[in-house]
Amino acid sequence: MRVEQLIDSLANDVKPVRRRTASGDALPLIVLCAVELALFLGTGMMRTDMPTAIHLPSLWWKLASLGLIGLVSGTVTIMSLDPVRSPRRGLRWIAALIAVCFLVGWLVDASYDGFSSPLVSRLHWIDGLECCYSIVVLSVPAVIGLGLLMRRAAPTDHAGTALAAGLAAAAWGAFVFVFKCRFDDPLYVAAWFSLGCGIVTLFARCVLPRLSRW
Amino acid sequence: MGSESQACNSVVRRLNPRGSGADNHAWDAMMAAAQGGDASTYRRLLSEVSLWLRRYYARRLPPAMIDDAIQDTLVAIHEKRHTYDPTRPFGAWLAAIARYKWIDALRSLKAKPTEALDDDIPVPDHEEAMTSARSLERLLATLKPAQSRAIRLVKLQGFSIEEASKATGQSAALVKVNIHRGLRRLTSLIRDKPHAR
Repeated sequence: MRVEQLIDSLANDVKPVRRRTASGDALPLIVLCAVELALFLGTGMMRTDMPTAIHLPSLWWKLASLGLIGLVSGTVTIMSLDPVRSPRRGLRWIAALIAVCFLVGWLVDASYDGFSSPLVSRLHWIDGLECCYSIVVLSVPAVIGLGLLMRRAAPTDHAGTALAAGLAAAAWGAFVFVFKCRFDDPLYVAAWFSLGCGIVTLFARCVLPRLSRW
Repeated sequence: MGSESQACNSVVRRLNPRGSGADNHAWDAMMAAAQGGDASTYRRLLSEVSLWLRRYYARRLPPAMIDDAIQDTLVAIHEKRHTYDPTRPFGAWLAAIARYKWIDALRSLKAKPTEALDDDIPVPDHEEAMTSARSLERLLATLKPAQSRAIRLVKLQGFSIEEASKATGQSAALVKVNIHRGLRRLTSLIRDKPHAR
C-alpha cells in the first residue's frame, strides 16, 4: 500500500476520540485499589492486635514507606504513559526514596534493641515465605490495571514504564498486606517485603513490555 | 517536484523550534480538530506529517526501509491520537512517536534475513542515501571494530554470515554475536541519547 492510500484510509476511518488525561488514568486505578483494600479489610483479614500495633513506630514506618513508594511509582508510571515523557528521572527518585526508607527502617530497628538478637532468628522463614506469597497475590489487580493502562496509552520507554508499574503494584500489594502482617520487626519487613516486591517488579518488568508494544 | 519541496519546507518550518508561533501552532490545531473527528483536516495533517517523516527517516534509515517506517508511524499516530494533549506542542509528540518507531525499525534489522546483493544496484536518490550513510557511519563508529565490521558486511553490504566470517577471520557464531550485540548497543545508544543522529 502506498503512503497516500494509507492516509486516505486512515482519514476515512477517523472518529472522535476521548482524550487521555493523567487524572482519567489515575481515577480507575485509585478505585480499583480502594475496592481491593475495602474487600481485604471487609473480609476480616486485618490483624487482631491492630489497636496495640498502632502505637509501634515500625508499623507506621511500613505504612508510610510502602504508601510513598506506591504513590511515587504510580505517578511516574502514569506520567510516562505520555509518549513525550520518560520515566528515567522518576525511577531515580524512586531509587532514592527506597534507599531513604531502608535507612529509616534501620534507625527504627536500632532504636528497638540495637541489633542484640541474632539476625537469622529474626527472619522467621516459614512466615516470611507466606508474606512473599501474599504480597505477590495482592499485587495482581494493580499489575493488571497498570498493564491495561500501558496498552491503551503510548509509552515510548517500555522497560522504564514497566519497571515503575511493577514497583507501584508491588508497593501497593505490600501496603495492603501490612494490615494483616503481624510481624513488625524492621529486619523481617526489609527482607521479606523486599523479596515479595522484587518478584512482582521483576515479573512486571519482563511481561508488561511484551504486552504493551504498539 | 518543486511544489512538493515547497510543501516539505513549510512542514519542516512548523517543527522547527525557531519557526513562527503560527507555524508551530498550525499542527496543534489540526490535530485537535482530528481528535474531534474532522476527516479533511486529518487527511491534510497526515499528508504534511508524512513529508516531515520522509525527511526524518531519510537521515536515519536505509532508503529501502523509509516507506515502511513512515507507514508504521502514521498507523501509530492514528491508533494513539487520543494520547495527544492539545495544550502541548504537536511537534514534540510527533517527534517522540517517530523516534520510537525509528528504534523499532532498527530493532527489526536484527530479525530480517540478509540477502546477497546483485552487482548492479540502481541508486535513485543519492542525497538521501549519502545522508543516511553518514548517520550510520557516525553510529557505527561508536561500536567496537569487530561489531561494526560485522554489521557493515552482513547488514549493509549484503554478505552472508559465512562470507563475513572468512573476510573478518571471526567464526560464524562470533559474527552473529557481534551483529546482535552491535545492534543492541546501537538501539540503547539511540534510546539514551534522544538527539543522536
